[in-house]
Amino acid sequence: MRTIARNEIGRLLDGLLAGYAVYAPVRRKGILVFDRIRSGDEAILDYANTRTSPKHVLMPQMETLLSSCGEDPGVSEHTDCGKPAVLFGARPCDARAFLFLDKVLRDGQSRDVYYANRRDSLLVISIGCTQPRETCFCTTTGGGPLSAEGSDILLEDLGSVYLAHVASSRGAEFAAAHGLLDTCEGEPPGSGTVNGGLQPAIEPPVDLGLLKAALDRSFDDPLWLTLAEKCLGCGICSYLCPACHCFDIVDEEAAGVRVRNRVWDSCQFSCFTAQASGFNPRPTGRERYRQRIMHKFNYCIDNHGMAGCVGCGRCVSECPVNLDMRQVLAAFGGRRGGN
Amino acid sequence: MTDCTARIREETARLLAEGRVDLVIGFEEGSLPLRATPCFITEPGDTGRLIWNAFCSNNLARYLIRSDRKVGIVAKGCDTRAIVELIKEKQVRREDVVIIGVPCHGMVDPHEVRERFGDIRIQTVEDTGGKLVAGDGTALLSMNREDALHRSCRVCVQRNPVISDVLVGEEVEERTRDEFTDVADFASRSAGERWEYIAGEMSRCIRCNACRNACPLCYCSKCFVDETRPQWVGRGTDPSDVLSFHLMRVLHLAGRCVECGACVRACPMGVDLGTLNRRMSADVARMFGCRPGLDPGKPAPLSTFDPDDPQDFMLEP
Amino acid sequence: MRNPYAPVRMRVERNAVETEDASIRTLSLSFVERREVFAFVPGQFAELSLLGVGEAPFGIASSPADPDLLDFTISRAGQVTTELHYLEPGDTVGLRGPLGNGYPLEELHGRNVLVIGGGFGFSTLRAFTSFALHPANRGDFLDLEVVYGARNPGLLLYKDELKNWGRRDDMSLSVTVDNADQDWSGRIGTVPAAVKTLQVDPESTTALVCGPPAMIRYTLPVLAELGLRPDRIHLSLEMKMKCGIGKCGRCNIGGSYVCTDGPVFSLARLDRLPREY
Repeated sequence: MRTIARNEIGRLLDGLLAGYAVYAPVRRKGILVFDRIRSGDEAILDYANTRTSPKHVLMPQMETLLSSCGEDPGVSEHTDCGKPAVLFGARPCDARAFLFLDKVLRDGQSRDVYYANRRDSLLVISIGCTQPRETCFCTTTGGGPLSAEGSDILLEDLGSVYLAHVASSRGAEFAAAHGLLDTCEGEPPGSGTVNGGLQPAIEPPVDLGLLKAALDRSFDDPLWLTLAEKCLGCGICSYLCPACHCFDIVDEEAAGVRVRNRVWDSCQFSCFTAQASGFNPRPTGRERYRQRIMHKFNYCIDNHGMAGCVGCGRCVSECPVNLDMRQVLAAFGGRRGGN
Repeated sequence: MTDCTARIREETARLLAEGRVDLVIGFEEGSLPLRATPCFITEPGDTGRLIWNAFCSNNLARYLIRSDRKVGIVAKGCDTRAIVELIKEKQVRREDVVIIGVPCHGMVDPHEVRERFGDIRIQTVEDTGGKLVAGDGTALLSMNREDALHRSCRVCVQRNPVISDVLVGEEVEERTRDEFTDVADFASRSAGERWEYIAGEMSRCIRCNACRNACPLCYCSKCFVDETRPQWVGRGTDPSDVLSFHLMRVLHLAGRCVECGACVRACPMGVDLGTLNRRMSADVARMFGCRPGLDPGKPAPLSTFDPDDPQDFMLEP
Repeated sequence: MRNPYAPVRMRVERNAVETEDASIRTLSLSFVERREVFAFVPGQFAELSLLGVGEAPFGIASSPADPDLLDFTISRAGQVTTELHYLEPGDTVGLRGPLGNGYPLEELHGRNVLVIGGGFGFSTLRAFTSFALHPANRGDFLDLEVVYGARNPGLLLYKDELKNWGRRDDMSLSVTVDNADQDWSGRIGTVPAAVKTLQVDPESTTALVCGPPAMIRYTLPVLAELGLRPDRIHLSLEMKMKCGIGKCGRCNIGGSYVCTDGPVFSLARLDRLPREY
């Protein structure tokens, strides 16, 4: 078992910068985000979580899928993702979201090569949480402050040192190849004598199984109308969510260059499903908010065996009208017995 | 404050019981410290949910748009300014709204409080009028209320409701003049510097539309940014598209923006929309002598023609 | 690795006006380079695209029995469809597909097939009918009955084919229009009204239905009256789509995606899904 001192992290990241694009938590105009760093000491280690999720590392808000130029009939497919990358400092919830995105985008029947190429060349080093925020609910959706799902290496924060847990074969290869980390053999995170007490308790407010069963019979529940009444219909919850992945494909042409771009989209926008005829199967906020909840906590469990939510709490903390998804879930999941 | 809460509950119960309104839109306790949240009360028995405190910052006038019900609404000065404009623009009929006006001492920005108190886990906040006292269960910390206000509240010229049917609480003293000093520095910079600043701010925009959707005056049934035939603005984060969106929005709000700051508060990325909007408001005030929402009888400057309207923009490059 | 977003290039062989108002055209496309076998069943769709303009999904209107030329019937609605209408023979267009599930051919084997189409929704039913009439396939099905309607005679698609079908004795065809003009000598009335007059054996018949929502709404009760079970009625649905491969998240009805689980759903299955289409 090996520990890494907190003050070694900067040097560790510096060492990675030669071979990898390194993403880490940084402050940009006062807001914590994951961004590429040029030196190891840029990475911020004291943080609860970033404002935006790290999903843009795998799925940028806007990316070019195809392009062509002038009269040349050749089409470039921008599938090469360049240098391999390391995401350092992701929280377990965000790493777990990658597991979900993998199921939808990479491992399904049509492999999304743009996502898959980035994912396959990304190494995720996450840092377990010691202090949950008041908006955290990772345990509700199956994760936890020391969950290693979706990570290659999980660092357990012991204060002045980190304990490294190898969580995948790639993580093991990486650790061996870089001589950076030893494996933490046989010891699940948080179970060691060093850190047993640090794992914070986050009470799951809702039982996911009960919630799923309740949602199965709640499509026409009048609650949707009252719950969604204050929703502004903006895309904050979708765009800050590490698991939301819906997108639009839009073409553009400028100065003889023709491109097909993929851009994030949100089920909360009315134009998301509006048809050319004017018909919209989800015409109001009620249907759109229901879709968001049903997709995450019902359809995704049916289709992917996993909720499309990792409980990071960004939608809770940043909603401009404080529409707290946990309360919405409790409103359905709480009515146990189906009355 | 607690007095306001009691009075709001009382008036709401009365309006509902008398059948004067179908629902009352107000605030209830939020799910997080430092937050209140909009709520919709239809039953007199539910009025106990209503509250009034330093975090009732949403502009509830936004919920009046396309409502087909008779609505009672709890409204601060800025909310009533929005209602005034909505009535002028025939989006709301005066007779369909019962305004429970609340004089406002300015709303507190949770970010300012957190910034000030650092990482403590705030559980309670007391508003003494002059101070905010936050507690984390063990200790109490305090700060000046004035220092914690939203930017829009610091420059507000209309804390008391412009129009109301019931006034709840004591009127507060208004700041008499607003010289737009908060944007004076910005205005004095060179075009290149201003461009650089705005472009830098816009680079953080994630196109979530929260600014637009929180705005009480952004009610177009189809916003230009959602139009696809033709597509005026691209959907992605290309800087030209982001800037086009925000500039077109701010221009569409010229002479209509009531400076409530709802867009700034809604933005999850802290984009400084305030400077752009306030700068535009300063121009409207200077050129047309108009502060939207302050005078129900005064026509909107950009939807009326006056031979004395400034025309120099036609001549100057 | 295959890129599911990359189209293959197709050459426009023909661009024919279908309707009097020229709002609907049929493009016939041939393969420029054949990267893989384009094997499809009637009822599947494909994404047609012009890089820099956009991409949109269309049902494949031709039969898999004629694999070298793919037909797409396109109603002019937005920018992409307008640009597609302007294409001339020799132009190229991108194609991704085949996508979706198509009509349940195996289930139709040895059964009477009742084809019910309205307006622009007839395109994939035309593909099925052509397929079923092919000498190699005709024996796979018992009676083939086609009911097709449009608002007026000018909006009827595939007029030459309808003429041929009308003369055949191995199928029956009812073409009906809501509003006739003076030259129209055929049936006047709605599609459900025409379906109502049919004699069908509910035990041995399966219906394929595609058309505007109003047609579907009024046809389904008629089919129930005729005694067809919900699992023997298959509807082809339309939803706004982008990726066509179950990723972009907008065409779901409950947990089912129209682009991958559909566009063809049995009524029995739809009855178990939320009414959000």
